[in-house]
Amino acid sequence: MTAAGLGLPGLDFAVLDAYWPVILAGLWTTVRLCGASILLGLAVGLGVELLRARVRRAAPLCRVYVEFFRGSPILIQLFLLYYAGPGIGITLDPEAAGVVGLGLYGGAYFAEIFRSGFEAIPRGQLEAAACLGMPPLRALLRIELPQMAALVLPPAVNQSIILIKDSAVLSIITVPELTKQTSRIINETFTIAEPLLVLAALYWLLVTGLSAAGAALEARLTRHLNPSRKTS
Amino acid sequence: MSKKAASLPPIIEIRKLRKRFGGTEVLRGIDLRVYPSEVVCLIGPSGSGKSTLLRCINVLETYDEGEVRVNGELMGYEEVFGRDRRRASPARLRESRRDLGMVFQQFNLWPHMSAQDNVTEALVSVRGKSRAQAEALGTAMLEKVGLADKLDSYPANLSGGQQQRVAIARALAMEPSIMLFDEPTSALDPELVGDVLEVMRSLAAEGMTMVVVTHEMGFAAEVADRVYFLEGGQVVEEGPPAELFNAPKSPRLGAFLSGWNRRNA
Amino acid sequence: MSHVPDFSIAVAHLPALLQGAAVTLGVSLASIVAGLGVGMAVCLCRISRRRPLAWAARAFISALRGIPILVLLLIVFYMLPLAGIELPPVAAAIIALSLNSGAFQAEIYRGGFASIPPGQAEAARALGMGEGRILRRILIPQVLVRVLPSLVNELIMLLKNSSLTSAITVVELLRASQQVVAATYRPTEIYLTAALLYVVMNTGLSALGGMVRARLAGRGRVTA
Repeated sequence: MTAAGLGLPGLDFAVLDAYWPVILAGLWTTVRLCGASILLGLAVGLGVELLRARVRRAAPLCRVYVEFFRGSPILIQLFLLYYAGPGIGITLDPEAAGVVGLGLYGGAYFAEIFRSGFEAIPRGQLEAAACLGMPPLRALLRIELPQMAALVLPPAVNQSIILIKDSAVLSIITVPELTKQTSRIINETFTIAEPLLVLAALYWLLVTGLSAAGAALEARLTRHLNPSRKTS
Repeated sequence: MSKKAASLPPIIEIRKLRKRFGGTEVLRGIDLRVYPSEVVCLIGPSGSGKSTLLRCINVLETYDEGEVRVNGELMGYEEVFGRDRRRASPARLRESRRDLGMVFQQFNLWPHMSAQDNVTEALVSVRGKSRAQAEALGTAMLEKVGLADKLDSYPANLSGGQQQRVAIARALAMEPSIMLFDEPTSALDPELVGDVLEVMRSLAAEGMTMVVVTHEMGFAAEVADRVYFLEGGQVVEEGPPAELFNAPKSPRLGAFLSGWNRRNA
Repeated sequence: MSHVPDFSIAVAHLPALLQGAAVTLGVSLASIVAGLGVGMAVCLCRISRRRPLAWAARAFISALRGIPILVLLLIVFYMLPLAGIELPPVAAAIIALSLNSGAFQAEIYRGGFASIPPGQAEAARALGMGEGRILRRILIPQVLVRVLPSLVNELIMLLKNSSLTSAITVVELLRASQQVVAATYRPTEIYLTAALLYVVMNTGLSALGGMVRARLAGRGRVTA
């Protein structure tokens, strides 16, 4: 790509020609690690919320978890995990620390999202299930979770987008993701503007794409919850 | 006691039932009996405790004192010989609700499932029927309530009256021997009430035992074998509808009825 | 390097951490105020009837919300000097954070404007008030009051995001604690203490937000 090709004066994207494989590898690492962290975060969030709401003794601990991880910056949580972890016997390589750190951080937000999702389901639906003799686990799987999945989709996609953007901080604990790879290119080529602009554009594409996909999925999932127009 | 009930023992027997919500006592010593195939209506002003009473029968509310027996079995508690009774385990509770079907004011259908799936869900997961068996039974039940053409409709696309009939079909499919109705028509637009009452009338005619909390005095007068009038958490008056409605003994029932007549004139 | 946590070290270095916390608060407050200017300007463009302005505002909002703050910080910190603008790190930090916050605040204000009945502006117009005056005297004051709870949330976000400015050498709470760790080799105690300082500041802000919400609800200004 050349400056003329993009129509931007003073920029020369040709410097990046040799680096596209590096950039794409970084992008793939970002996507991979974010995917893993989002899954971990969803699992942790759901687990924490189920414990908080259904096991009385566990509730205070769940609250402390949520308050701590929502109340402090992701970067300091990563430092705690990566630099202080070995002191208590937890030694993780940067990628693993990144996934665990982002996952625990995201889990606190997902827990709050799941909480409002569960609370939005009318109690009566569960009373009906109880009257029919349905065990609580069955009601959770068949009545609560499917409805919650649709209810929490928009905030969960939103939170996932935030996690993708936050994943840039993994560069600071030397994970070779998109931002790290790009700063390597800056150091090697002594060009600043072009790599940074490409970096910004790639994140924007990732985030905007995911947001569009989320909106489409939400429309699909909630189709039957809205009265269709043909019946009056 | 009604003619139907002649010699059989009561299928529901409630004695000295008390229930508190925090500091307020909402049920203050209720005695009530329902005999097989009887239709019993519970009437009374809002806040009289009639819905709470109904919800104590299948232990959606835990009662504090007294006892509720269905088919002779104590509901909500396990009797421990020589000691205080203790709360029934969740599994025991599920088992003891087997004979009781429940219909709610707000229908409480599961909005992410079609009418058919609402009816078949518990048949498969609780009764262990096969998909095919459950669907055959579900279709039959929806036909019975006049919704054969709505099998695949989702609740959001059904009128309130249709939703309530799906809810009735869902409860009936479990083949309960007693149906509990908690103000089944109170959330419906007036023009939709008739269809639901029609289904309930035919159920009564088939000999289903029914306990109905209702504000529909016409339905109570026509269908009920006996009516209980509750106020302030107590049974004020009880008897066949003809007696209660035409010659109320207590001034409070008289006031309640004349108020109702004025509003529905 | 395994050891029993010893928080006396954290206590000994508390002054350095608190100094960092003060910078964190200062940067966050400066950014929310600057972000208010950016956000209001972008919002007015976004709801403007002039198409090009509205489109430019949409592009700004989409871009700034789609880029990680760390990347934005790097862009501002490294690219402004290329254009011949030399800034101290703190200034670059506040510029980047307020641009980011401005994009989010613009959407908050848009919601605020939408919540004011159109009749109010119509009434002002009927009295012969000019559009600028209507904005300044009638609409903006109400919008600002209505969005106060959201602004407190935004400040909490900023407080956490400001930790990223450590990457461009601003000595805020996180970088201050890194410096202490470099001197003491006690990451557990120091980072945990710093994290708790963040939690304390945020809990304080949440409480403030709750009070604001309650006050506004009491006056019937905000329903939620």
